[in-house]
Amino acid sequence: MNHPSAIRIFFKTIVARAYPRFVGSHRNLTWLVTETLLPLIGTIAMIYVYRALHAPARYLGFVVLGGVLLAFWQNVIWSMATQFFWDRGGGNLELFAMAPTSLAAILLGMALGGVYMSLTRSAAVLLVASTLFGIGYSTASLLPALGIFVLTVCALYCLGMVLASLFLFYQREAWQLADALQEPIYFLSGFYFPVRSLGAVVGGLGSLIPLTLGLDAIRQLVLPGTPQFVPLAWEVVAIVVQIVAYGVLSQVSLRYLELQSRQDARLILRST
Amino acid sequence: MDIAVETKALRRVYRSRRQEVVALDGIDLQVRRGERFGVLGPNGAGKTTLIKILVTLLLPSSGEAFVDGLDVIRQFREVRHRIAMVSGGENVGFGMLKVREQLWMFSQFYGMPSAQVRRHIAELLERLGLSEAADRRVSALSSGMRQKMNLIRGLITNPRILFLDEPTVALDVGAARDVRDEVRRWMAEDPSRTVILTTHYMMEADELCDRVAIVNRGRIVAQGTPAELKQQVQQDAIVDLQLSPGNRLLDALRAVDGVAAASVSEQDGIDRFSLHLSSDAALSGVMRVVEGSGRQIRGVQKREPTLEDAFVKLVGRGMAEEEQA
Amino acid sequence: MSEAIAQWRGFKAATRLGWKISSNWTQPLIFVIYSVLRPLSAAFILVIMYRVISGGAPGTGAYLAFLVSGVAFWSFVQYGFAGLSNGIVEDRGEYKMLKYVYTSPAHFYVYLLGRGLAQLASAAASAVIVLVVATVALRLPIHPLGVNYPLLLSASFLALLAVIGMAMAYGLLLLQAVDAHGYGELGSGVLYVISGAIFPITVLPGVLATLASLSPLVYWMELIRRSLLGSQAIRMFPALSDGDVMLRLVVTTVATLLLAHLVFTWADRQARRKGLIDMESNW
Repeated sequence: MNHPSAIRIFFKTIVARAYPRFVGSHRNLTWLVTETLLPLIGTIAMIYVYRALHAPARYLGFVVLGGVLLAFWQNVIWSMATQFFWDRGGGNLELFAMAPTSLAAILLGMALGGVYMSLTRSAAVLLVASTLFGIGYSTASLLPALGIFVLTVCALYCLGMVLASLFLFYQREAWQLADALQEPIYFLSGFYFPVRSLGAVVGGLGSLIPLTLGLDAIRQLVLPGTPQFVPLAWEVVAIVVQIVAYGVLSQVSLRYLELQSRQDARLILRST
Repeated sequence: MDIAVETKALRRVYRSRRQEVVALDGIDLQVRRGERFGVLGPNGAGKTTLIKILVTLLLPSSGEAFVDGLDVIRQFREVRHRIAMVSGGENVGFGMLKVREQLWMFSQFYGMPSAQVRRHIAELLERLGLSEAADRRVSALSSGMRQKMNLIRGLITNPRILFLDEPTVALDVGAARDVRDEVRRWMAEDPSRTVILTTHYMMEADELCDRVAIVNRGRIVAQGTPAELKQQVQQDAIVDLQLSPGNRLLDALRAVDGVAAASVSEQDGIDRFSLHLSSDAALSGVMRVVEGSGRQIRGVQKREPTLEDAFVKLVGRGMAEEEQA
Repeated sequence: MSEAIAQWRGFKAATRLGWKISSNWTQPLIFVIYSVLRPLSAAFILVIMYRVISGGAPGTGAYLAFLVSGVAFWSFVQYGFAGLSNGIVEDRGEYKMLKYVYTSPAHFYVYLLGRGLAQLASAAASAVIVLVVATVALRLPIHPLGVNYPLLLSASFLALLAVIGMAMAYGLLLLQAVDAHGYGELGSGVLYVISGAIFPITVLPGVLATLASLSPLVYWMELIRRSLLGSQAIRMFPALSDGDVMLRLVVTTVATLLLAHLVFTWADRQARRKGLIDMESNW
């Protein structure tokens, strides 16, 4: 029987699954308030902590750049990792799983749709916080910094796919698990302070999350005087390795998830 | 014989820490290509489990299942190109999307060409009387409209086998009729198409299906055409007895000589007993029991057998009673 | 059955429900770990931020205690405010039971108080564990026998009344929105900035500092630190005595409760007028 090729279905699925996110963000603008104000408030609170401590200006920059990447971590956790869990609750997962498409394409589509919101959120944090507190950045290495940002986001989304398979094995506790992946990860990834301050062991552990090395590398490039955690080149190599490793792991885990879920009825059992 | 769906000794057990539930207990089934096949049974009989296995969402604990000649366990990816499922009472999709956007989105998961699918969606919306709602948000649809939209979602991907799981549950009479009419029309367009329908509405199965399997407690208790199944109770006289409410009477009626089976349902404050009598003479025994109970007779009538009667005869009690058991 | 007994039963049921919703998704041990993981991490973030700048200079204990106590007790606002206001929206959107609670004989206030109390119980566990762990790990100058418990408990009682009052009013306001996702956290985020939880409000610009001085939370934080640390506490209001701070806490709490009552009453009327109690909403 003739049917569309797997690659065609893959790309069509990405576009189609991104569509509701994209359209939804235009039709329901309430997200603008929460998605921009909430991270902005968190960033500003941390800036005031440094202000109270009379910290050098670059430390305010550390916080702002942390706030920028935090938006993507939130997108990965709430709009990607937990998404199959929400979709199962709403009954969509059955329809996704029953279609001749891949779950990876569904997840990538969701992430793509969410990037728009994350970019808006990041831009708001970067522009508003930098302007309010007069934070300057070195633009000499802006392009490499952007390149590392893109690589970091790619690695992050590959990790998000791995987490998505994990989350499907949870019932009500999925929400709490996602919640628990916030402050502990902000700590381990050095969102608000130089990664080097974590020391080799904790920093090394935190580096399993692509954000840690990506954030440190970007800070090194745009905020001169950033205490170096590891040399920039190593960080870039490590992020590329993470893209490959998490990419492969995500495929393996998604296949395992699908098989195991068919066995355990996890694709059809709804939970709230 | 060209077989669209086949199961062999299909069994599914749900296990949790506390209990083990046998949902399917050795189902052997053959559905011919071009058939509208009904799986009929009370809630909890295993109908939905059977469908979920056939649409590749669930693995059987043992046994085999083939859809369009493909093994649902090993060749599940290929199976998915050939099937679609529509469940009743479904609230899936994205409320903020418009109806035509939602339908387009689902079609893309099957790699359908966008232009072609948009035309097809417009045709189907027209046919099901949803054209005016095409640009309405999904969240604003009534349950009847939503179910029609779900049916269109199942049809636009052009499946060879369509699985309908209680497709008219909770729909009003008009919407349920529209759904059934569309299924008939879709089948008529291409004789190689197959529909497998689960329902606990006897009338629906009788009206829509070429053949029916009656399922109870995970087993097939009978299968055949609706006429063949009804034939099983043809020798019996079917009498409906309407009585005022009162003490439990069913067991006493079942004990009457010549009563082959009996079931009861409550409607508008009246108990409606359905009695299978092996001879008309048994009626006098029934009347004596009724008089002894002090209940008032509101109506008695002899009627033609239905699939519900076949179920009562095969299982020994009515669907409602079986669901409560 | 007397009215009082009926209300008491409603209150008990609401407290039990709130507790079950927040805790029965897992084993008690995992629940405790989950409850302290976020605030503990938040405390460690602040500790590192401080250490990076101070370099471990003398007198760090008092400032670390300032940060840790703020984060630990912030759990009450996080759970009480965001938890309760989200809970109201969740009861409508996800559990679809708000309409039944609303139309039950138990007063709506009583139900919400019960739900709020359950949230505060979770917060109390979290606050105590964070405080104990941080005190031991960071050798903070907090001594259990030296704590001024009457001051701590009376200040906390008043502040938590204000928190629950604000959460009820805010939660009712959120019923106006079809999609109120994240608004509970947004509200508590705003309170975080103006509460003096992690930095003295003196670093805030004029308008925000004035706003902060009208919030009972800032006086509560001050009294928490004074009661825990005594003379070693870093003070946001060095010119005010304990009594003066308490007086301000009382006045701002009463004002907050009055304002919350007005907002609640208005939002409640709006909700009934517009049919928002049983509205289909996104959750």
